Amino acid sequence: MSTIRRFCCNDLLRFASVNLDHLTETFNMSFYMTYLARWPDYFHVAESPGNQVMGYIMGKVEGEGESWHGHVTAVTVAPEYRRQQLAKKLMNLLEDISDKIDKAYFVDLFVRASNIPAIKMYEKLEYVIYRRVLRYYSGEEDALDMRKALSRDVEKKSVVPLKRPVTPDELEYD
Amino acid sequence: MASKFGMASGIPERRVRPIWDAIDSRQFKNALKLSATLLSKHPKSPYALALKGLILERMGKFDEALSVCLTAKDMLFSSASILIDDLTLSTLQIVFQRLDHLDVATSCYEYACGKFPNNVELMMGLFNCYVREYSFVKQQQIAMKMYKIVGEERFLLWAVCSFQLQVFCGSGEDKLLLLAEGLLKKHIATHNLHEPEALSVYISLLEYQSKFGDALEILSGKLGSLIVIEVDKLRIQGRLLARAGDYILAADIFERVLELCPDDWECFQNYLSCLIGDNSYWSKGAQNNSIHLPNSGDCKNLHLTEEMFDSRISRASDFALKLAEKASSDSIRCPYLASIEIEKMKLIYGRGDMDKLIEVMIQYFCRFGHLPCFASDVKMFLEVLTRDKKNELLEKLVESCGALVTEPKKLLGQSITVFKVRELIGDMCTLPATDIEGFAVEMVDIYCKNLPLSKDLDIQESVHGEDLLSMACNILVQLFWRTNHIGYMLEAIMILEFGLTIRRHVSQYKILLLHLYSHWCALPLAYDWYKSLDVKNILLETVSHHILPQMLMYPLWNDLGDLLKDYLKFMDDHFRESADLTFLAYRHRNYSKVIEFVQFKERLQRSSQYLLAKIEEPILHLKQNADSIEKEETVLENLKCGTHFLELSSEIGSKSLTFNEDMQLRPWWTPTYDKNYLLGPFKGVSYCPRESTQTQIKQMEANALKTIERRSLVPRMIYLSIQSAALSIKDNIEANGSLPEHQVPSELRILLERYANILGFSFHDAINMVSNVQSGHNSSEAVSPNLIELMNFSVFYNAWILSSHEKGASLGEKNKSSSWQLVNSFLERQIVEKVRSMRSLLSTPCSDLPVVIQMVTEPLAWHILVIQSFVRSSLPTGKKKKKGGATEHSNSQLSHEIRDSILLVYSVIEQVITWLKEQLQKSVDEGLDMILSSLTTKETNEGPGRVFHVIETCVASASHTELGDRISGALRCWDPAGVGRKLISGQSTVLSEFLIICESKIKSLQTLKLQV
Repeated sequence: MSTIRRFCCNDLLRFASVNLDHLTETFNMSFYMTYLARWPDYFHVAESPGNQVMGYIMGKVEGEGESWHGHVTAVTVAPEYRRQQLAKKLMNLLEDISDKIDKAYFVDLFVRASNIPAIKMYEKLEYVIYRRVLRYYSGEEDALDMRKALSRDVEKKSVVPLKRPVTPDELEYD
Repeated sequence: MASKFGMASGIPERRVRPIWDAIDSRQFKNALKLSATLLSKHPKSPYALALKGLILERMGKFDEALSVCLTAKDMLFSSASILIDDLTLSTLQIVFQRLDHLDVATSCYEYACGKFPNNVELMMGLFNCYVREYSFVKQQQIAMKMYKIVGEERFLLWAVCSFQLQVFCGSGEDKLLLLAEGLLKKHIATHNLHEPEALSVYISLLEYQSKFGDALEILSGKLGSLIVIEVDKLRIQGRLLARAGDYILAADIFERVLELCPDDWECFQNYLSCLIGDNSYWSKGAQNNSIHLPNSGDCKNLHLTEEMFDSRISRASDFALKLAEKASSDSIRCPYLASIEIEKMKLIYGRGDMDKLIEVMIQYFCRFGHLPCFASDVKMFLEVLTRDKKNELLEKLVESCGALVTEPKKLLGQSITVFKVRELIGDMCTLPATDIEGFAVEMVDIYCKNLPLSKDLDIQESVHGEDLLSMACNILVQLFWRTNHIGYMLEAIMILEFGLTIRRHVSQYKILLLHLYSHWCALPLAYDWYKSLDVKNILLETVSHHILPQMLMYPLWNDLGDLLKDYLKFMDDHFRESADLTFLAYRHRNYSKVIEFVQFKERLQRSSQYLLAKIEEPILHLKQNADSIEKEETVLENLKCGTHFLELSSEIGSKSLTFNEDMQLRPWWTPTYDKNYLLGPFKGVSYCPRESTQTQIKQMEANALKTIERRSLVPRMIYLSIQSAALSIKDNIEANGSLPEHQVPSELRILLERYANILGFSFHDAINMVSNVQSGHNSSEAVSPNLIELMNFSVFYNAWILSSHEKGASLGEKNKSSSWQLVNSFLERQIVEKVRSMRSLLSTPCSDLPVVIQMVTEPLAWHILVIQSFVRSSLPTGKKKKKGGATEHSNSQLSHEIRDSILLVYSVIEQVITWLKEQLQKSVDEGLDMILSSLTTKETNEGPGRVFHVIETCVASASHTELGDRISGALRCWDPAGVGRKLISGQSTVLSEFLIICESKIKSLQTLKLQV
């Protein structure tokens, strides 16, 4: 149970309990604010009945032609509110915006290849492993690029897995 | 950056590209070489010069960079025929901005726009300059000019935002919004609107002016189609209707929202408040406080008859029921929580009863009681129950626990929930120690027994039942509070360390531990745990309060320096880049973010923690260099002799400070950073900490203001005290400073008065306070709340006396001793008393050590500086002539007092050193035996050790098959003796660091002794 609304600057001062989780990165200010300034529709927060930040999602929309897609940069939920499908709600919201407002072809995200619980969750949300990105995280760990096709990609061409892994230099977007 | 090159100043791209490439790859020397070649070919090109300036700035040659760019600017201004392009201007702008000369960058653009009046590209650059300067009026004017030239929607919206900024963040009057509205209306009539953000700005403009009807009309008209997601539009519509007072229609709209988003709790609250016509809910403007607790009364307060109230409530109940029926999964809780909210409302308005409320809460428990968030979901409803009813609820929860659930994880979840509700209700304070100790044992036992449930979990995932250890820790801390038995304190530490051995990523445990270690004077350990939280960026603003106040009191000066530096750098960097991000929002047409960004920056600039850090950083430098007057004077010189902070102190009263610290994660025993229950005695059942948190937060906020105000005076008072001591030597008329002689005592007198006033005393009261304690008329306890501050006061007061002509008179009639004697004996008595009463750190967690550290590193250190200044000035120099007569006599009397002071301060520090050495010589093994023996369970089955025993049993009986590799491996690493050793070593580090400081002071006093 939550109220999901657009993330605003003041939420940065309230998300400590979510971000103290060791897997949740606290980015620098210009990173958050660039997302807010450029893609405010892709940055949402879920609040509990007691007004606490339960979790949030941040993302963007980018690409050209059939690569025009929504991207999930981060999705995170505080320990107290896990196992309630909140991440699913937040992901669905971002997919909805990519689909309806921006008419994107697909939504993608990157996940550490070792983060099995997260990969399983994304698979449940119908994301497929599109390709492996070698040594994406600090030149050490591989990333999995996972995708979900949206209604505009009728033939689901965007999610046909690549046969070979790619290197970070080959990525079209950062 | 490489995209920046172009045909600027008529220079071909191929010549510029390599320079930008070199800059981008940080090969500045090479870039400078290339730039020299370019300049030799284009010596009159402002762009070539600007590039050189940029390179120099990147190389850290700021003066040269500024000079080069100013030349480029002069060239731009002087050459009538030259082309002015945005590339040259923006390059200059980058350098000027980095060198803090925004005004010069602005003047370049202003000049260019004057020369080429209709060039929109240049005007956008100028707009950007005004954004950086936060010049809202000029922003608006230039945006209007651009709008008039090209008629684009975005420029009109830039102007509208600038109007809003003048009203919200400047001194602009509300009528400006009317002007903005008019402009928008006119534009819409001719051009319509094309951006959803433009529409939302328009609506917010109308809403701010309470023109809800107009806003609704626009939303339901053609423009409304700009909002693509239906539910977003409905939410705005509902809010506008409610704010317009049309509650019934609003309720209909909120019903539609809830049908689409059945789990939206805020929307349900909006819905219910509309149904019952709760004006107080909507009159706040925004309904962002979801714990809305109206004053109790009857439904007449709502302007409803009882029948109407009943029928509206019954509509809400039916609707909640319908939503619940439609809810396909247990992940939707809102309709169920709604039924509790409805019962609460009935109760508040005299149409319900507590039994029914309890009944629906139990139903909610049966369905969702296993979830970790159950307790926080129902917290707001507990507030309306009487104490007896709370206990009744608790009993029923205990009965219902496990009644319908068989799955072990859910059963565990329900048990945790019951403990959480018990904690919320606060009956732990009223129960006998043995009872609550029993709960702690039970909690840890449940945690251990359920570890097999986490066997297959990934290390990233939370172990089932993690909350149990935090709750058990809370109980043990309370037992320590009640009994003062260190065994409980150690046991609390042990279970958290145990939990972190099993999974090292539990931030909740780390925060509790860092407070426990801080309290037990093992600050290095606390700091290690704090670092492991990886607090960075904006978390520095919200989370630092867990460690910063303690660090300010302890001698880990290098770590403290890093902490302050990192925090201030983060904040200052943000202030520097914030305007660029605001401009980014303008460019991307996300206008609502423009206002938000500016307001957010202002909020951070008024952060109390930021202002405190700003003043504590230089005070730290002053503490670090206090043993040498020359070094101290260099520090003071860099601080402009403390004048800047004086301004801060004067302004602070008129500023409304912001408090951005996240207090939610603080443990109950220290709910705010200036409060620690464990320092005071347990006050019994009437004292239930959590209930008064809000009051304490308010109190803390008031104290914070005074602290900043007071601390900001310190650098200047140190500076003036040094000057004053120098002036006291009569032949040393030209003191080392820029102030005329007579100004030193008069300014110091004013500051002393202010300092005393901030403490709540008049100047004379403060002196009397000190002299009464010194003469024994008052006990030391009388000054203890302001001990350090009064000590500082007495030191600066003595320094003032040296150069003022009010000797003796100000001391009050009772006390005939000199100010030197006053300050000496005050310092001596307080420090020595404390040192003599201190026992070993291991046996007394609530040690006075931090106070002693502060006394030695602040007032005593400043006193030594005054002595140093005096001695330095009294030393014969080649130039000085010896004078005889009365002056010589009075100086010699002073010299006696100085000599006595040096001897006394020396002896005080020696006593501190003796104590420190005694502590450091103690055997680690003996200390370890002592603390671990406190955990040995007694035959009586009472007292500390029972919880620890559960852990030990769990470790001893751990089965690899049941627990899996990871957990059983972690259990094998469990080393309680290691925890004890770490604690002892952490305390030793504090003692050693303090010893180093004291020894350094002794050295400087030895030199002084020789000089006198």
